[in-house]
Amino acid sequence: MDVDRRAQWLRGVLDLCVLGLLARGDSYGYELAQSLQATGLGAIQGGTLYPVLLRLQRSGLVTVYWREGGGGPARKYYRISPAGVGVLREASGQWAAFAGGVGAILSERTAR
Amino acid sequence: MVAEMTLRETARRRGVLVLLLVLPLAFYLARRGDHLGQSIRFVCLGLSWALATAALFVGSAARSLEPRLRLSGYRTHQLFLGRLLALWALGVALSAPYFVLILVDQQNVRYAAIAVIMLLGVLVAPLFGLAVSALLPRDLEGMLVLLMVVGLQMILDPAGSASRFLPFWYSREIGTYAIDHTSADYFDRGLLHGAVTAVLLLAVVAVAFGIRLRRRPHVRIVGGLS
Amino acid sequence: MRHEIWLAALTDELRRHGVGPDLAGHVVAEAAGHLRDSGEAPLRAFGPPDTYAAAVADSVGGPALARSVPAGPVRLRAVDITKRYGRRTVLSGVSLTVHAGQVAAVVGANGSGKSTFLGICAGLVGADAGRVELHGTVGYCPQAGGTADFLQAGEHFALIGAGRGVPREAAVRDGARRAAALDWAPGDAQARHLSGGTRQKLNLVLAGLGDPDVLLLDEPYQGFDRGTYLDFWHEVWRWRDAGRAVVVVTHLLNQLDRVDVVLDLSAGSSGVAA
Repeated sequence: MDVDRRAQWLRGVLDLCVLGLLARGDSYGYELAQSLQATGLGAIQGGTLYPVLLRLQRSGLVTVYWREGGGGPARKYYRISPAGVGVLREASGQWAAFAGGVGAILSERTAR
Repeated sequence: MVAEMTLRETARRRGVLVLLLVLPLAFYLARRGDHLGQSIRFVCLGLSWALATAALFVGSAARSLEPRLRLSGYRTHQLFLGRLLALWALGVALSAPYFVLILVDQQNVRYAAIAVIMLLGVLVAPLFGLAVSALLPRDLEGMLVLLMVVGLQMILDPAGSASRFLPFWYSREIGTYAIDHTSADYFDRGLLHGAVTAVLLLAVVAVAFGIRLRRRPHVRIVGGLS
Repeated sequence: MRHEIWLAALTDELRRHGVGPDLAGHVVAEAAGHLRDSGEAPLRAFGPPDTYAAAVADSVGGPALARSVPAGPVRLRAVDITKRYGRRTVLSGVSLTVHAGQVAAVVGANGSGKSTFLGICAGLVGADAGRVELHGTVGYCPQAGGTADFLQAGEHFALIGAGRGVPREAAVRDGARRAAALDWAPGDAQARHLSGGTRQKLNLVLAGLGDPDVLLLDEPYQGFDRGTYLDFWHEVWRWRDAGRAVVVVTHLLNQLDRVDVVLDLSAGSSGVAA
């Protein structure tokens, strides 16, 4: 798969994906990166991920707290806020419509 | 208010004030020995030069404050007229002792005509200094111009036509009338020259200040001052 | 060990980008944790320290959404300001709108045209293109100058006050009150005998005299000690809360999280207010 294109797609939806993962439960940066990779979205670099988290925090869609890790130093955990849940719900509907539209066009093209 | 503050400012420059007061005296004494009449001409030019220099300093000292005063609501003409008012007052204060000196020290001259020279000097010299300071942003250049003009005025023959284009020609002309008892033509020509010079210089000052402190055309003020 | 160097560089860069010390500490700790967990090389995971710091500053630099104060009417509107000095274009299509009750910060490297922009807003400097609308009276505080060497502070207050139509007594009282807010008791010293910092206090007090609707401040805190610097920002917040529109030219960015609008003139980009 074309790496540039995937990075472009991801840029538009990374914040939503992060919100979605956080809706499953609180998490920290590295774990989120691993989960995203496990979903097949490719490797997300820290330099991309953390600014997105900061923006989400800034706009009040996630809250943060520090928790001691097993033996290691404290980790910054992220938790989705009620506002974040609202945004996620709204956006997932919109995304479904958008992705459906794209899918319809693309499959029509290949079917011909 | 501008005039008052200008006077306060100037009053605090004691060194400059003393020099201003002493300079015409030096001019006077320098020629007193050989030619009494000449010393009067010199003291009048000396006074004019001192006042023009004072105006030059006042003008350049005010330069950094003026845009701010303009922004705080002063009109441009209030700014330069205020400065001029202060300088005219200073000029009268500076000239009076010299008039008394001439009154006491000199005989057989037309005192009234000398008073007119001094008054014209009080009127014209600050205008000249302020005009120079408005046109030349740096003190040193302004000083050199003043030096050049006054020097030329002393050297050039007042009867020559070039000399008439210098701002203090009236002083030489009325001086001749007062000291050498020439005909009233000299007095009238001098008076006219002084008046025309004053009006021209005032126009230069007004235009130069107007340009420097103009409201730039890209700015539109809604509901504010001027 | 390479992590340590990278993290130290990141700390410096975050400070340089105006990220406050608390947040910078969190960002660095988080990055350290990530590097430890992933075992990746810092350059690969985060890129160069300055780039990452810029991305962080970018993410937090905008106006806080939490403090959504209803903006008042427009006080200053600068549209498409362009300024050239000779062949060098200093400002190109810069726009800024500031409402009553807002603080705008104009930031950028040295020579990026911050002071020029403010001068254009004040109408003291001509613009090659664009226009400025000012609604109400204007107070301007230049970076240096703007005072008369041989006048005392009180005389400055009276002089500037008179321009705004404030009677002498009231102007002097008002000036002394504002000076006190900056931890300064003006005496009868002439301006030329004041220290650089005190002279800037005088400058700042003069800008606020008579309560102008728009305050244009050009790095007014030069020579201020730390305490006065904080006093200065408190004075700015007070102006904002009193419904003034305040524009501050600054190269110190750690107050950026507390201003409403940021205009970045860096890199000659055509800045548009965030």
